[in-house]
Amino acid sequence: MKTRQIVIGLISMAVFFVIFVIPFILVLLTASKTPAEAASVDFTLPERWVFWENLVETVQTRDYQLLLAYWNSSVITVGAIVGLVIFGAMVGYVLQRRDTKLTRGLFFMVLAGLMIPPAVVPTIWLLQGINLFKTLHGMVLIQIAYGLGFTVLLYRSFIATIPRDLDEAAIIDGGTPLQIFFRVILPLLKPVTVTIIVVQAIGIFNDFTHPLYYLPGAENVTVQLTLYNFQSQFVSQINLLFMNILLITIPPLLVFIFFNRQIVAGMTSGAVKG
Amino acid sequence: MADVVLTDLRKSFGGLEVIKGVDLHIESGEFCVFVGPSGCGKSTLLRMISGLEDVSSGRIEIGGKDVTRAEPKDRGIAMVFQSYALYPHLTVRENIGFGLSLARRPKAEIKEKVDAVARTLQLEDYLDRKPKALSGGQRQRVAIGRSIVRDPSVFLFDEPLSNLDAALRAQMRIELTDLHAKLGTTMIYVTHDQVEAMTMADKIVVLNGGRIEQVGAPMELYDRPATPFVAGFIGSPKMNLLEGEAARKMGAREVYGIRPEHLVLSEGDGRWAGTVRHVERLGADTIVHLESREVGPLLARVEGHREFRLGQEVTASPAEGRAVLF
Ligand SMILES: Nc1ncnc2c1ncn2[C@@H]1O[C@H](COP(=O)(O)OP(=O)(O)OP(=O)(O)O)[C@@H](O)[C@H]1O
Ligand SMILES: [Mg+2]
Repeated sequence: MKTRQIVIGLISMAVFFVIFVIPFILVLLTASKTPAEAASVDFTLPERWVFWENLVETVQTRDYQLLLAYWNSSVITVGAIVGLVIFGAMVGYVLQRRDTKLTRGLFFMVLAGLMIPPAVVPTIWLLQGINLFKTLHGMVLIQIAYGLGFTVLLYRSFIATIPRDLDEAAIIDGGTPLQIFFRVILPLLKPVTVTIIVVQAIGIFNDFTHPLYYLPGAENVTVQLTLYNFQSQFVSQINLLFMNILLITIPPLLVFIFFNRQIVAGMTSGAVKG
Repeated sequence: MADVVLTDLRKSFGGLEVIKGVDLHIESGEFCVFVGPSGCGKSTLLRMISGLEDVSSGRIEIGGKDVTRAEPKDRGIAMVFQSYALYPHLTVRENIGFGLSLARRPKAEIKEKVDAVARTLQLEDYLDRKPKALSGGQRQRVAIGRSIVRDPSVFLFDEPLSNLDAALRAQMRIELTDLHAKLGTTMIYVTHDQVEAMTMADKIVVLNGGRIEQVGAPMELYDRPATPFVAGFIGSPKMNLLEGEAARKMGAREVYGIRPEHLVLSEGDGRWAGTVRHVERLGADTIVHLESREVGPLLARVEGHREFRLGQEVTASPAEGRAVLF
């Protein structure tokens, strides 16, 4: 029994290493190479370590575009997350607590929002119509729209585990609906909220396609789009490309490390009524 | 201090009528208990008084004011829930002061009031704990504290003791009665446990199927039940109820009722002959289950040390003037 556990442990560690750690090491090594050496993308130690030089050059490329991209991506991510958490929790709360024909219809539309693939061209047309195309706040709204279905679904099922007695106690205590939501319900949603923040923040921060469609323009660049800087038909600066990958991986990685514990708690806490 | 007047109160859920016309006057300062079997509409009636459930038709007055359509917070009521409904993310202090803080009262005032309530309920040592870290009895006290701090004119309790063990329940019954004596506020208390009703109430309201069966003081209901339902519901062990031919023989029109303690058992002649089926020793009393050939099963309560054997032939006779006839 004991040896079997050890063997299984070793195997899973090996799998983990191959899937998660090796690619990361490859990125790290390549980012430390000179252009000539990096061109052949292989798993060797660099002959000359130029990590710092590469880092500086990557950051300075195109007049510090990477920093602008960090800023833009952060604005979009923070804006969209705030909107998603507040609206997602509010909608989930109402959909769960009021069981009427109307809310059932609305819930179906939420589900439909998850199932029906988004149509890019009409969305652009709509954004242009309301002057939100090529704007950061337009992008924030797009990200909220894309994430809302999943968020509402998660919040709704979690709110079902919060006893209705608490709402009623707060009503008796003289709470208005908004007070009850912000002072009783929302604090109790913390585990799911953390999960949603992490999952959505990483998704939105790392989003490549949606900013590509809806947010063209050099001043609107987001982190994933900076990867284009080092890859063109004629010259590819693989070492800088990998340095860029490394740099834009760091924020999501930090978020993950920081919230790791709470995510697991959030995913399981709805399962068993405490 | 306020009285509560219900006039022809009705409530339907969809097509189903759950409260079928309730008229009731609860005096100011009274401890009134709603009792009845599960599903008879006690909680619904209480929630209508609290304003959590709206009224289909009829009228609710609290302290002479029509509050039928008023918001719960404007009715001068406070409610204690069966599940306690404490806010899990707040400390005991914040739980008790929550209503005041919602009303944006100054911090000093909240602290003062919460401290006063905590002193009354001996909760001072737990003020900084979360509800999770409290025992059932302590949670119960916090829930009561939260209602006291609102200084309501009517307290509403929905089966507040049903999650406690027997010993604690007995203790909390006394604490609640003391609290009522101290505050002198009108209290409406819902339970399905007739012992709680008998021990705590000034006035018992027996509900059955959405209607009031009888209203009265505990001993009034015990001695003079108005209907066979009340006779069977109030008192433990249950009253013996005979129907049909057996009841008519005893001079009743439909049902003849006799309490177990009013049945006299003897070896000699008596009204009904029967066999001892089962003997329950409670210490001070002994409950004897008889199987009578004439009227079926009978319960008798006798003095604790009397000896009975299973299968023994005995006779049971009703004590003079103690029977209830319907
Ligand atoms: N929201 C509701 N929708 C439909 N029916 C309801 C609703 N609430 C209560 N009922 C019905 O009303 C009746 C009375 O319910 P109520 O909760 O008042 O009973 P109760 O006397 O408190 O019972 P218990 O002792 O089990 O708590 C029950 O038949 C119940 O099914
Ligand atoms: Mg009930």
